[in-house]
Amino acid sequence: MNRYEEIDHTADWAFRAYGNDLKELFENAAYALFALEGALDAQSTLTREIHVAGIDREALLVNWLSELLFLQETKRETYQKFEIEKLSETELSATVHGAQTQPLTKFIKAVTYHDLRIEQTEKEWQATVVVDV
Amino acid sequence: MISKHDLERLNEFVWQVPREYRADMRVPARMWADEELLDDALQDKSVEQLINTATLPGIVKYAIAMPDIHQGYGAPVGGVFATNTKDGVISPGAVGYDINCGVRVLASHAHAQEIQPHLGDLATTLYRNCPSGVGVSGSINLYGDDLDDILNRGADWTLERGYARMEDLPHTEEYGRIPYADAAMVSHKAKERGRDQLGTLGAGNHFIEVDRISAIYDADAARVLGLFENQVVVQIHCGSRGLGHQVCQDYVDQFQRVVKEYNIVLPDRELVAAPFHSPEGQAYVGAMGAAANFAFANRQVLAFHIRRSFAEVLKGHVKDFDLHQVYDIAHNMAKVEEHDVDGAMMQVLVHRKGATRAFGPNSPVLPDDLKEIGQPVLIPGSMGTMSFILCGTQGSMAQTFGSSCHGAGRVWSRHRAKKEIRGEKLRAEMQERGIQVRAGSMSGLAEEAPQAYKDVSRVVQAVDAAGIGKMVAKLEPMAVIKG
Repeated sequence: MNRYEEIDHTADWAFRAYGNDLKELFENAAYALFALEGALDAQSTLTREIHVAGIDREALLVNWLSELLFLQETKRETYQKFEIEKLSETELSATVHGAQTQPLTKFIKAVTYHDLRIEQTEKEWQATVVVDV
Repeated sequence: MISKHDLERLNEFVWQVPREYRADMRVPARMWADEELLDDALQDKSVEQLINTATLPGIVKYAIAMPDIHQGYGAPVGGVFATNTKDGVISPGAVGYDINCGVRVLASHAHAQEIQPHLGDLATTLYRNCPSGVGVSGSINLYGDDLDDILNRGADWTLERGYARMEDLPHTEEYGRIPYADAAMVSHKAKERGRDQLGTLGAGNHFIEVDRISAIYDADAARVLGLFENQVVVQIHCGSRGLGHQVCQDYVDQFQRVVKEYNIVLPDRELVAAPFHSPEGQAYVGAMGAAANFAFANRQVLAFHIRRSFAEVLKGHVKDFDLHQVYDIAHNMAKVEEHDVDGAMMQVLVHRKGATRAFGPNSPVLPDDLKEIGQPVLIPGSMGTMSFILCGTQGSMAQTFGSSCHGAGRVWSRHRAKKEIRGEKLRAEMQERGIQVRAGSMSGLAEEAPQAYKDVSRVVQAVDAAGIGKMVAKLEPMAVIKG
């Protein structure tokens, strides 16, 4: 199973993340975000604890990914390993591992709700996400 | 998916999706385009996204697509619609994440051949003095209440601190200051993102370009704007940076709850909206205004650095290198305006996402010197091609809530552009044509390749022919500076 694949979108970026369960799906969606930015190659030298909430599963995914973008920009860090510790319909706790980063030349402005879908197929969980670049 | 057969052709340049096309539409949707541009728009989800905006509560007349429409998220890029301020909604997702992304044009009095020998130095100096990329600090340190002051007062703050000239402000949309901005409605997170980003370009499709004017179409308007053939001008394209992105993110998230409380049903969660007069709606209006002021201040500080760069390189070598401000426009905003709706003037909230305000001659919001020609409309083309300066018209007031296009409009995905174009080759091709390129990322350059965009001259010709803008001048690039 691939962790994610990029999907064509005229102006922005879109991807579909996969996971055997919801935790893995959320971890792989975070991985996809940094992979698309080309920001994955850092050594893990720091960790951060993250807690986010949302009104439902989709909002939780948007807020989780948005929090990572916020930390990336304000702390000048990039993350490559994601461990979701707790996940309910409306709350998430995670530890992420990453490193300080050089200024990036490509980045994602925001994670959108447009065409956002989290669904379970026979084989796995899938999430489709469109991001603004 | 919608096809041409579903559309009514109202005239050569206007196509209508009838209200009956989808049960949830409250008004028809109209597209301004020639047939080729229309065919482009029908290839992706642009028109579906346009139709989605036609379902918003309080929308009046019709939802509008400009000739450069392309697929976005929520509302399409190149989309315009107006909601009644009495009982209509405001939608943060229909303004977009880069609140008050816009374009500024500065003009020298020098000819291209005078600058040419110094062009390489000039490009390098601009790249050094105008920070780009992500996670790059601006050159301006903010202390204490500075950031709140910028959010509340926009260009007025830059004037006070010496980054603006008095005459820049009247040649900025809203004079560079949104009066209803409220820094208190901007979250701490948004402020944290913006604190060290003033005077930075960012990445993506944002750029600074040194251009020469290669054609004048309207001599009278060009004279008023101080434009002449072969003149060196500079374009800045950027917005409110991380601060604006976070404001949009915050309110799109908050409105996910609000939309349920007000029983608003929408076809796309990214279009979440609140009644304009609700406490939540008004909070977003204050925050959006504050982010817009940050963007005006950002472009003003960049203009300051550009003027400084011109002086550093050209002083003692070129006469008349000094840059005056032609105009500065916003192309991602929602604004309260008065427009004719069914024969009567009505106060409406005009949402423009990837569309430019284009008020016609004698508009009371314009400074006296621009009243005879209408508001300048600044249209950057795709990288390495050409750009245009237009003016607003009475036709844009009557047809499109005083709005016009904003650029070329994408046709290829970034994914495809990256696969098919190599950044290094593109740079070499531009350099061969005499264009200086300074860019932080080669794959970023590839994503912005001209092949990924529509032909901007076709877009502005459709705008001009449809009467929603009037062509004034054409710009061709001499140097491109990108993140």
